[in-house]
Amino acid sequence: MVGMPEADAPTITPAGGTAVVERPAEEAVAQTPWVTLVWDDPVNLMSYVAHVFTTYFHYSKSKAQRLMLQVHTEGKAVVSSGSREEMERDVQAMHEYGLWATLDKGDQ
Amino acid sequence: MKKFKRKGKVVASHLSGYEVELLSSLVVQLVEMVSDGIPGQYKTTPESDDPFETWARDLEAHPDEPEVPEDPVLQRLFPNAYPHDPDAASDFRRFTEHDLRAKKIADAQLVLQRLAQTQQGAHELRIPVEEADQWLRTLTSVRLAVATRLGITDAEAAGELAELPDDDPRAYMLSIYDWLGFAQETLVSAL
Repeated sequence: MVGMPEADAPTITPAGGTAVVERPAEEAVAQTPWVTLVWDDPVNLMSYVAHVFTTYFHYSKSKAQRLMLQVHTEGKAVVSSGSREEMERDVQAMHEYGLWATLDKGDQ
Repeated sequence: MKKFKRKGKVVASHLSGYEVELLSSLVVQLVEMVSDGIPGQYKTTPESDDPFETWARDLEAHPDEPEVPEDPVLQRLFPNAYPHDPDAASDFRRFTEHDLRAKKIADAQLVLQRLAQTQQGAHELRIPVEEADQWLRTLTSVRLAVATRLGITDAEAAGELAELPDDDPRAYMLSIYDWLGFAQETLVSAL
């Protein structure tokens, strides 16, 4: 993802090497074996990706921001978990928004 | 153009006639690409309550194995949902790609309508807040298309392009890409 220089926009500069514990979204993955992964790409704007997470998943701004930074720094993040059908819907929605999303089994 | 600004229930900016023409032409190209030249063949259909009816419709519309698009832009717009499972990837494509294409076309057509209302930039561009996502998705699709043509496949490639001399043949397309990024960034910020 990329940030756009813009006078009014907050500049997000993730500290290099900061360890972010990789963890799926709050929901218990054990009961829900599928996850939606969003992958980093060099085109999508950081602000936009966070916007998609708040708009589509109705996540809080801080959670959306944390997931967006995880995608940016670690290359990917689990953004939702649930049944396979639910995750296919989420992946399709991410593709509608132009994010690079895939499905995976939650235990991987 | 100036930054998008929120004015009540509308996000507005002023685009020049040239900018309106340029963005319209990029969005028209997107529609042509996503619809394989026939926008009418992709329509959003209301979901039926009967799943069998929906499946039957999908199978009828796409009886063959859906092919992964050859165009790298389309590959990026319709990514592989199951990178480790070709059968599941093919099923996913069969059941989603038609609706995805229809959605991108419907989003883009709304954008074209709003652009046309500016009368080649004579009037302010006014986007109702509830249409912001259609705009953001369309700007994203256009940016992904331009980025793919520019070879922006990773952060390194993006960095190299930033150093491009002004007389490089790609400089013009890069300036369009930067403009699209500015438009999208300020639209998100204005919401």
